[in-house]
Amino acid sequence: MTGQDRFEQEIVAVMPPRLRPLFSALPAEVRERVTEIRLRVSRPVMIVLAGDDHWFLGPKGITRDPAGAFTFGADEGAQFLQFISRSSVYALEEEFRQGYVTLPGGHRVGFCGEAVVDGQGVRTLKHVAHFNLRIARELPGVADPVLPYLISRGRVCHTLVVSPPGCGKTTLLRDLARQISRGVPALGLGGLNVAIVDERSEIAACHRGVPQHDVGPRTDISDRCPKAAGIFHVLRAMSPQVLITDEIGRPEDGPAIMEALNAGVSVIASAHGASWAEAASRPALKELAGAGAIERVVVLSRRRGPGTLERVTDPRSGRHFGNKPSLAAVCMS
Amino acid sequence: MWRLFGAALVLAACGMFGALVARARTERIRVLGELETAFSMLATEIGYAATPLPEALLKVSRHSPPPVDGFLERAAGEIAGPSGVPTAEAWAAAVRAQRSRWCLAREDEAVLLDLGPYLGQTGAADQEKHLRLTLTRLGRLHARAEAEAHVQSRLWRYLGLCAGGLMVLLFY
Repeated sequence: MTGQDRFEQEIVAVMPPRLRPLFSALPAEVRERVTEIRLRVSRPVMIVLAGDDHWFLGPKGITRDPAGAFTFGADEGAQFLQFISRSSVYALEEEFRQGYVTLPGGHRVGFCGEAVVDGQGVRTLKHVAHFNLRIARELPGVADPVLPYLISRGRVCHTLVVSPPGCGKTTLLRDLARQISRGVPALGLGGLNVAIVDERSEIAACHRGVPQHDVGPRTDISDRCPKAAGIFHVLRAMSPQVLITDEIGRPEDGPAIMEALNAGVSVIASAHGASWAEAASRPALKELAGAGAIERVVVLSRRRGPGTLERVTDPRSGRHFGNKPSLAAVCMS
Repeated sequence: MWRLFGAALVLAACGMFGALVARARTERIRVLGELETAFSMLATEIGYAATPLPEALLKVSRHSPPPVDGFLERAAGEIAGPSGVPTAEAWAAAVRAQRSRWCLAREDEAVLLDLGPYLGQTGAADQEKHLRLTLTRLGRLHARAEAEAHVQSRLWRYLGLCAGGLMVLLFY
């Protein structure tokens, strides 16, 4: 299926009927660059293009002026909810608690509304009026500039990918999973069993248990399970050689990662932060940093667009492995 | 001879018409009962299993006899179809498409149509409430149809025969 077909079948198809012709009429070069569609009831439809915010959807295409844009009505909100839930809002109660739903194709819709709270926290949402549709794109090969530095003597180094939000950590992890699972003969790496602990369902974007992205033939996925529990589960159940997980940061994540390291499993994880020093100051990573467990740190930024590779370092020795701005070109352009 | 044959034919035709109307009354009772069973199953699929609506409708259709199975299958197809119409419209289209295939009265169909705007649009607890309300309304119509059926079925059968007899007398 081409990118155009996917946009039509996976994105336009879930839009309210009045919006469909407007999205269908978008030029191909715009469709290819759309990263987010923000729908807010009674406000103009906003489109985010890669590295270029704040476009609005008007009858003549995208416009910088919100005044001439299509206003997303309350009816459209209800219809959008109906289409993303396949007419089954009741089946999304857990997703309402989590705040997002994964669509076929791996696209994700985050939503906000009025929270219904009980003694145990948010029970569900009502009057959902804010949607953020994040368009998923596979970028095979995005890990190529990094991978040679993450393999040492035929094994995958314990690696932490660090960046502020929206810099391409998850995209990088996904491609690392795919390549390590398949094997990279050029680097002397045979295919390895990979386990992804995908608490937020972003890396593999499972829909009904099936990964919507190519994460490799030897990859098992613990989907939507709390990270620490998911790590213990895959270690017990799936005997992975490499464990990949996203956004470690809670206190219980550190001991779970240590458990994987002690079990002889290579760990690739990501964390928010602008630098290794910033990330290592977080409680979940202090123990790992103190034990010298992390062998490689990959720092990403948006300096030249999402996915700019700032550096790859060995935090134990402080050695820098290179500076490859080419990742930015591969990642989001 | 031919007159006698014609009279018998008129009598038989009128009697058959009366019998058909009487049978439609009985069939309506059966379909209302089957719909009640189907909606009970649907409430379970939605409330306990959180099965997405198109799948839940198909699942229930497989356990339902005609013509309820066809109706639920059609509704599932309309809702999951690529046309992307709102659920209420898809549901209404399925009810309308069924009109020639079952013997439900307009008041029975109105109960089904009233469910459409709520179907699948709210949380599980709310869905169960709407389905229970539909069941209660169908149950009332079912009970009333049963109470009327004894009298009306016999009435239509006799009425058919009597009308035939009257026509024969008038023609002769």
